[in-house]
Amino acid sequence: MKTSSIAASLALIAALSGAPTALLAYDGTQCKEPGVCWQPKPGYPEKVAGSKYDPKHDPKELSKQGDSIAKMEARNKQRSDYFKKSGKFVYDVDKIPK
Amino acid sequence: MKQKSTAWSLCVFVAAAAMLSSPAIANEKLVELSRKDENWVLPGKNYDENGFSPMTQINAENVKDLRPAWSFSTGVLNGHEGTPLVVGNRMFVHTPFPNTTYALDLNEPGKIVWTAKSKQNAAARSVACCDVVNRGLAYWPGDAKVKPLIIKTLLDGHVEALDAETGASRWKMENSDYKVGSTLTIAPYVVKDMVLVGSSGAELGVRGYVTAYDVKTGEQKWRAFATGPDKDILLADDFNSKVPQYGGKGDLGVKTWEGDAWKIGGGTNWGWYAYDPKDEMFFYGSGNPAPWNETMRPGDNKWTMAIWGRDVNTGKAKFAYQKTPHDEWDYAGVNVMMLSEQKDKEGKQRKLLTHPDRNGIIYTLDRQTGELVSADKLDDTVNWVKKVDLKTGNPIRDPEFATRMDHNAREICPSAMGYHNQGHDSYDPNQKLFFLGINHICMDWEPFMLPYRAGQFFVGATLNMYPGPKGDRQNYVGLGQVKAYDAITGKFKWEKMERFAVWGGTMATAGNLMFYGTLDGFIKARDSRTGELKWKYRLPSGVIGHPMTYMHNGTQYVAIYYGVGGWPGVGLVFDLTDPTAGLGSVGAFKNIQNYTQQGGGIMVFSLGGKGEYQDPKTDEYETAVNGDKPATVATKDD
Repeated sequence: MKTSSIAASLALIAALSGAPTALLAYDGTQCKEPGVCWQPKPGYPEKVAGSKYDPKHDPKELSKQGDSIAKMEARNKQRSDYFKKSGKFVYDVDKIPK
Repeated sequence: MKQKSTAWSLCVFVAAAAMLSSPAIANEKLVELSRKDENWVLPGKNYDENGFSPMTQINAENVKDLRPAWSFSTGVLNGHEGTPLVVGNRMFVHTPFPNTTYALDLNEPGKIVWTAKSKQNAAARSVACCDVVNRGLAYWPGDAKVKPLIIKTLLDGHVEALDAETGASRWKMENSDYKVGSTLTIAPYVVKDMVLVGSSGAELGVRGYVTAYDVKTGEQKWRAFATGPDKDILLADDFNSKVPQYGGKGDLGVKTWEGDAWKIGGGTNWGWYAYDPKDEMFFYGSGNPAPWNETMRPGDNKWTMAIWGRDVNTGKAKFAYQKTPHDEWDYAGVNVMMLSEQKDKEGKQRKLLTHPDRNGIIYTLDRQTGELVSADKLDDTVNWVKKVDLKTGNPIRDPEFATRMDHNAREICPSAMGYHNQGHDSYDPNQKLFFLGINHICMDWEPFMLPYRAGQFFVGATLNMYPGPKGDRQNYVGLGQVKAYDAITGKFKWEKMERFAVWGGTMATAGNLMFYGTLDGFIKARDSRTGELKWKYRLPSGVIGHPMTYMHNGTQYVAIYYGVGGWPGVGLVFDLTDPTAGLGSVGAFKNIQNYTQQGGGIMVFSLGGKGEYQDPKTDEYETAVNGDKPATVATKDD
């Protein structure tokens, strides 16, 4: 209660002084630890999950990039391994002799 | 022709012999080549990436006599970023998609020695955010076993190594998958016997990474991500030990995101690299977090928007400094890194890195420790930030220009294009001045919600862009500047306004000159001491690349790509009229079509147009007349 009263007073002072109401918003000066300084803007949630700003990410979509990278790395390894072994570069991994 | 092949082979033989006679590795050979006036072997000529040539044949007194010597059409009309490479008698030319590579013979300038048209999937064009640009090639000088190579990137995500003598493909690897939105536009970068490659696609939620490949075999040596757990990001044991205030280990690449948002969090690096051969560290910037809508991704979003210093052998980061934590404006941090050695304000000689960022701040760091030396506004109209606290590294933001859902933020400077974008700039070590090509564009920004779907655009903001406060908002000109900057005093020695953004960057010479191209189709030369305009020439199309210079047979040439396009030219290229299209660039550059149209090629200049074709018989074809034998035609190699 006491904290909220102080906050209200500060907001009132800001309003009376003509300063923008966003004065108390995120400005990069309130750090929880080195390099961790973000804070939600007034009226916005600290976590968006469950809020009206929840992007509702689909885990299947989120995993697609990682899956693709793993497959590309595996194909590239087959290519470079065979190239180093044979001196012949074959792009199509299905055509690389086993 | 035979003699020319012999000359090139001799060049290769000499290079190979040098390898055998000394323990020099390819890296050192590249350093040696970069020191010669005849070569431009890296995007900014040398590993310092200072875009500076010590040549003085063309200088502030005689530059008025610069005339075209020869030109070459690439046959492609999209935006031409970057600059060609020159090694000995060869110029290596790249193009936007379809990413054709040409080797030109400088003895018969413009004559094509070989052409490499690499196969790739054209569907990649649909996920390229900002035209289908490419920023250049890399050259590896060869060793005793493998001949010199040209390395290129393809828009569809492939990296390919070509024989520099013949253009034959040596290897081709998959770096990025356009089906999930990841493309390649970056110029590869050769260090030691490795080639470094970044990635593009943060506008599609692509999680960024930098990868090192063995240049001879294409084998992956290491890969370092911009987001995610420490083990993915590759952090050295002493990561940020000299700058703990920036944040350290402890999976901040996960903890500063909500849930799994880091997996689609951007941080791609598609800009430029620089390298310190003595410290064996390379430097680059990671780009913007995804999506642009900041409300959807609470947290500092590490380690997007960071300047990285990594050990090239292991890929492990010695330091990372996040310039724009929790970006709210698409100030992608990928811009050029220029290395210098200067005395700081206390008189201490330091190894420095200077980086003009999209966010409107030009940063100078101690590149051995990551400590901030200076952080100055590129223009006094930058308003999202009041200043950068040099002790903590934190930008002290002005909340008035913050962005958020359900709010249309207005008059934010700079715009998402930044006060500086991908242009490769220059530094004159004699004058200790950086020459900067600047954008002068501001914006309104209104976010909206959207779902993530792999391979689809994931931006979430509508932008309106317009000239900055010093420009002409009635006529939509005054969108750019050029400036000379002292990183130690923080002062601008001179500055000039330009009609449009100076998108491509600058080149400097010891002839007291700085060169640059403009979007409206000029190449210009200014006295680098005063900024006085000394010369300009109207090119067939606008410029978004940076100039370069080389010596050939005793003549100094200045070369530049023409070919308007890229992000600022996307409206022109794709015939768009909605001012918010092209991520807001169409509105800002709605007048560009009155000054230039599409084209694509290289224009090369020398004093008085001196060069191989001054003798009209050079490369002339003659036929037999009345049964007489054809006359013998002399060429440079005959």
